[in-house]
Amino acid sequence: MKNPNIVLLGNPNVGKTSLFNRLTKLNQKVGNYPGITVEKREGTLKAHNKTYHIIDLPGTYTLFPNSLDEEIVFQILSDKNNPYHPDLTLVVAEPATIKRSIILYQQARELGIPAIFVINMMDEIESKGMQIDIQKLEVYLKTKVYKTNARTGKGIDELVAAFPQSPVTYFGNFQIPATYSAALDEAKRIFPLATEYLTWQYLAQERISSLTAEQQKALEEIRTKHQLNIHEMQKLESQIRHDAITEDLKPIIQKAENKKLNNTSKIDRILLHPILGYIIFFGLLFVIFQAIFAWSGPLMDWIDGLFADITEKLDAALPDGPLASLFIYGIVAGVGGIVIFLPQIVILFLFLSLMEESGYMSRVVFLMDRWLKPFGLNGKSVIPLMSGAACAIPAVMSARNIENPKERLLTMLVTPFMTCSARLPIYIVIIGLVIPETSVLGFNLQGMVLFAMYLLGIIGALGSAWILNKVIKSVRSSYLIFELPTYKAPDWKNVLTNVWDKASGFLWDAGKIILMISIVLWVLGNFGPNDKFYKADEYVTAMKPNLEEEQFDKEVASYKLEHSFLGYLGMGIEPFVRPLGYDWKMGIGLISSFAAREVFVGTMAVVYSLGDEVDIEDDGQKRSLLDKMRSEINANTGKPAYNMASGISLLLFYAFAMQCMATIGVVRKETGSWKWTLIQTLFMTGLAYVAALIAYQLLK
Amino acid sequence: MQNNISLDRLKIGDTVKIQTIDSLEIPAKFFELGFYPGSLIEIKHKAPFGGPICVNIIENNSLIAIRKSEAKLITVEKI
Repeated sequence: MKNPNIVLLGNPNVGKTSLFNRLTKLNQKVGNYPGITVEKREGTLKAHNKTYHIIDLPGTYTLFPNSLDEEIVFQILSDKNNPYHPDLTLVVAEPATIKRSIILYQQARELGIPAIFVINMMDEIESKGMQIDIQKLEVYLKTKVYKTNARTGKGIDELVAAFPQSPVTYFGNFQIPATYSAALDEAKRIFPLATEYLTWQYLAQERISSLTAEQQKALEEIRTKHQLNIHEMQKLESQIRHDAITEDLKPIIQKAENKKLNNTSKIDRILLHPILGYIIFFGLLFVIFQAIFAWSGPLMDWIDGLFADITEKLDAALPDGPLASLFIYGIVAGVGGIVIFLPQIVILFLFLSLMEESGYMSRVVFLMDRWLKPFGLNGKSVIPLMSGAACAIPAVMSARNIENPKERLLTMLVTPFMTCSARLPIYIVIIGLVIPETSVLGFNLQGMVLFAMYLLGIIGALGSAWILNKVIKSVRSSYLIFELPTYKAPDWKNVLTNVWDKASGFLWDAGKIILMISIVLWVLGNFGPNDKFYKADEYVTAMKPNLEEEQFDKEVASYKLEHSFLGYLGMGIEPFVRPLGYDWKMGIGLISSFAAREVFVGTMAVVYSLGDEVDIEDDGQKRSLLDKMRSEINANTGKPAYNMASGISLLLFYAFAMQCMATIGVVRKETGSWKWTLIQTLFMTGLAYVAALIAYQLLK
Repeated sequence: MQNNISLDRLKIGDTVKIQTIDSLEIPAKFFELGFYPGSLIEIKHKAPFGGPICVNIIENNSLIAIRKSEAKLITVEKI
């Protein structure tokens, strides 16, 4: 028998994730639902000699979907063939907003879903000055009601003990208004097996992806025939349920003055203040970026040193040969190049999840909506844009809770402009090469250029949004409605699991690509299409017969690289990148960094250490990548390859270009459209090319 | 009646009762988060330069923010 599915359903901010963490004791994984990137949290729990499969659904206020997240919830609950369809649903509520949760509970039961009711955050009943008569509530809901406090673990054992029981059969509270009975009867003929309420739901939703095209068409015909307005139907249901519950709950729940909201109001008076609120928000942003750069420094140095040690030891221990070289300089160095980002990713997500957990993130949405709206974005775009400073992949995914399709699309299209952490090492290397290390007005010039690069990312994002907003026509009118939860001390368990998920996801997903690219690059650099590569010494001898041994070895190495697959590839694109001031070696870097931007630096290391291999052995010393790159001469111009003009050009190229395969993949998945993905890639790369071209031609 | 006014024109601290929610365009989500005809709400915060408006839905004690453009479509009665 398959493991029973236990599904957690509830409003956002009721502590559902904390409960999920308690139940699964962190035996959990985060992935995506098949085909779409809505975050799927699932885990296991062993009890009653069974292994339960626990699924944490995205938070939702109702079964009528407004966003992709909420569509998933309806699909899982309505479709018996869905692999996540619940054997038991835990409807999770919190005391203050219990009415909303009861509506959700009733909707689930009337769909025909077995469900029990869980009141989480029981400690808040008192602090919110409430009294709930649990026995009466159980009678009313026709189920047992469980009380938990997921933060302390209180009530969890009792809840788990309830898993084997199946709730009593349920009869609906919601009387579908008589005006709709004709339409409903017709719809019932399409779905003979569905409950009446499920049929009503089908009728009152615009598009249900789990239904066949014919069923959808039949529903549409009924809607047209009876002139049904789905918004009206949904609102009517909401109103009827609400009125009934308000009346029914009077003897069950007593409320007094809310103390909790008083504290929240006091904090909000400062954090949402028209002036102070913005100062605090930008101050916080400043602190976050400081932290990302300052705190991560020592850790990154440590990782850097660690991998340098490993490489050195391996080099000494392993016999010389192509395989050892691949392992050390391809694989180990490649892994080192990705692990080094970990401190920054961890710090960023630590701050982001603290903001989310404490309730501050919705305040940011509140403060920023006004300023993003003119660009066709939405207050909620702040989260993807800010996360974009770490990595565009989770950032694009986080756009899914934006309800308006156009605003969501725009957000996803412009998020990759934000300076992600993968671009940082490129910037640092190039800035280190071409920008003098002086102070201007007491500020470090290199630091200022780096800051300017971040600004450029933001300008690129907002500017493109502004243009695209003029071009794209909106189907639905834009609206924004969101809850500002009461402030809470963050649940550290949630914060830490979230950071762990994001960091390990980044490490794993990016790591796979880096490793692949490292191997491919190594192969391309160590093999050639013709015997100019394999018999390089003969060709060099024929051309320059009178070289000294040292000079001869250098010539052979560079001749080999030039005639390797990698060399031909780089030379192939040279005509395109020459106007930007790059030579073929930099061309190789551009090609390989398309796989992921962070590959650029690694590739440069491979390219130049290949070129300087002999040099290093002869001199008996190792020089850092920076030194190698600094001494590199562009064969086209005879000037240093990395001078001010080509450096700025390279910086601009990386600032705007869609230089990341994984992001393209995610955008394709999220938009569900190759058209927009291609438009985005071409737009960004075109902009990058033009900007780099202009900069180089002006500066050279 | 003098007392009927659209939600966007209220001041912070005003407590009002929702009378009608105008447009068919307003999604059901507004209802689900507590904007029912008859609900009591208090204006808590307003973002500057015509930004969102944050109200307290008194019966849930929850803070909900909406844009000014939607607030215009909600008629309330001062009490």
